[in-house]
Amino acid sequence: MTSLLLLDGSPRGPRSNSMKMLSRLAEGWISAGGAAPETLHLVRPADFDRAVAAFAQAEVVLLGMPLYTDAMPGLVMAFIEALAPRVAVAAAGGRNPVLAFLVQSGFPEALHSRPLERYLQKLARRLGSPYAGTIVRGGGEALQMRPDSSNQRLWAQLRTLGGQLARDLRFGAPELRAIAGVERFSPVTAALLSVAFKLSIAQFCWNRQLKSNGAWDQRFAAPYRSNGSTSGGSVAEPWG
Amino acid sequence: MRITILNGEPDPGSSFHRYVHELAGQLTASGHQVLTLDLGGLDLKGCSGCFGCWVKTPGRCVKGDDSGRVCRAVVEADLLVAASRVTMGFTSALLKRAADQMIPLVHPYLELEGGEVHHRPRYSSYPGFALVLGPGPGADAEDLEISAGLWLRLARNLKFRTVFTAVADRPAREVAFDLVAAA
Repeated sequence: MTSLLLLDGSPRGPRSNSMKMLSRLAEGWISAGGAAPETLHLVRPADFDRAVAAFAQAEVVLLGMPLYTDAMPGLVMAFIEALAPRVAVAAAGGRNPVLAFLVQSGFPEALHSRPLERYLQKLARRLGSPYAGTIVRGGGEALQMRPDSSNQRLWAQLRTLGGQLARDLRFGAPELRAIAGVERFSPVTAALLSVAFKLSIAQFCWNRQLKSNGAWDQRFAAPYRSNGSTSGGSVAEPWG
Repeated sequence: MRITILNGEPDPGSSFHRYVHELAGQLTASGHQVLTLDLGGLDLKGCSGCFGCWVKTPGRCVKGDDSGRVCRAVVEADLLVAASRVTMGFTSALLKRAADQMIPLVHPYLELEGGEVHHRPRYSSYPGFALVLGPGPGADAEDLEISAGLWLRLARNLKFRTVFTAVADRPAREVAFDLVAAA
């Protein structure tokens, strides 16, 4: 049975959307005959250190992460920096594990995650690792906000991809395309969304949280510039 | 103009660290007001994805660390310069941790911009943006291109106005001149 190291790169840890998705991938992996994975949460310091050490022994590593300011979270980049010695190992003819990735974002379109996918593909090449592919999925934040029953199709897609990874050591291209959903909205859809975003109902989830926190009146606060111009406001830093 | 430099080099003894400060010196000598933040010396706890900066204390990180200093230095600047060596194919984890804590600069509400979904601005204006990349060990031209591509997306989402990328393989004086010319 092939061994799998399942790495959760979410700064939120075990209760994250990334981990929810990784769990479904692991179910598919086990159903297809893969060994029960070792799961580590990079946000926990002990797990982080264990992950760096376990990387070298693993046959397959699946690293999942949320998109943070359009790239990997700083936490994940710190893990990647810790893998630097593995580049030299690969250059000297040593082996590194098969690498598979999951990138999930709050944006509805897949296009936001594509530059990171390109980075991760190059990372596999840098490490001399066979590249199993990157699962790109938008709309991740909505997973927290709706009943689990409405996510059944997504969970099934993830189980299928987990099974493919166990059997073929790579994700299927049609399945990756299907789970990514919309790449970019058509001009008509974009125009409709543009109008919809101007309605307060579209911001319902944020508004509900702002109100329950007593922060509603402050929602448009711009605390680092008091009057909206560069010339005004207090400057705390010693410029010049 | 007001220029904020985010120095993403963690090693104060490195030649790239010296290069960034030389760049700051050149910009100051040209008459600009320069603030250099050595990120390695700041208390940056990193983003935990709590969204407190959007729904609890709008515009501010709830952690009360130095990320507020970084955010203030960004919105007060006419030009923001992010400087880092490229190792393992990207800018430093230190610089990325600082970038993750910049989301209070935008609003949670979404809008359509250029046919893409983005966050709405929180401020009426944002600085121009320049990226200064130091080729680290094993960095090739593709790594620099991928790094610039990721930062281009970040700049677009954070509403930074102009984007310019310079490679620190020539004198700081020349790079300083180009940064100002592009802004």
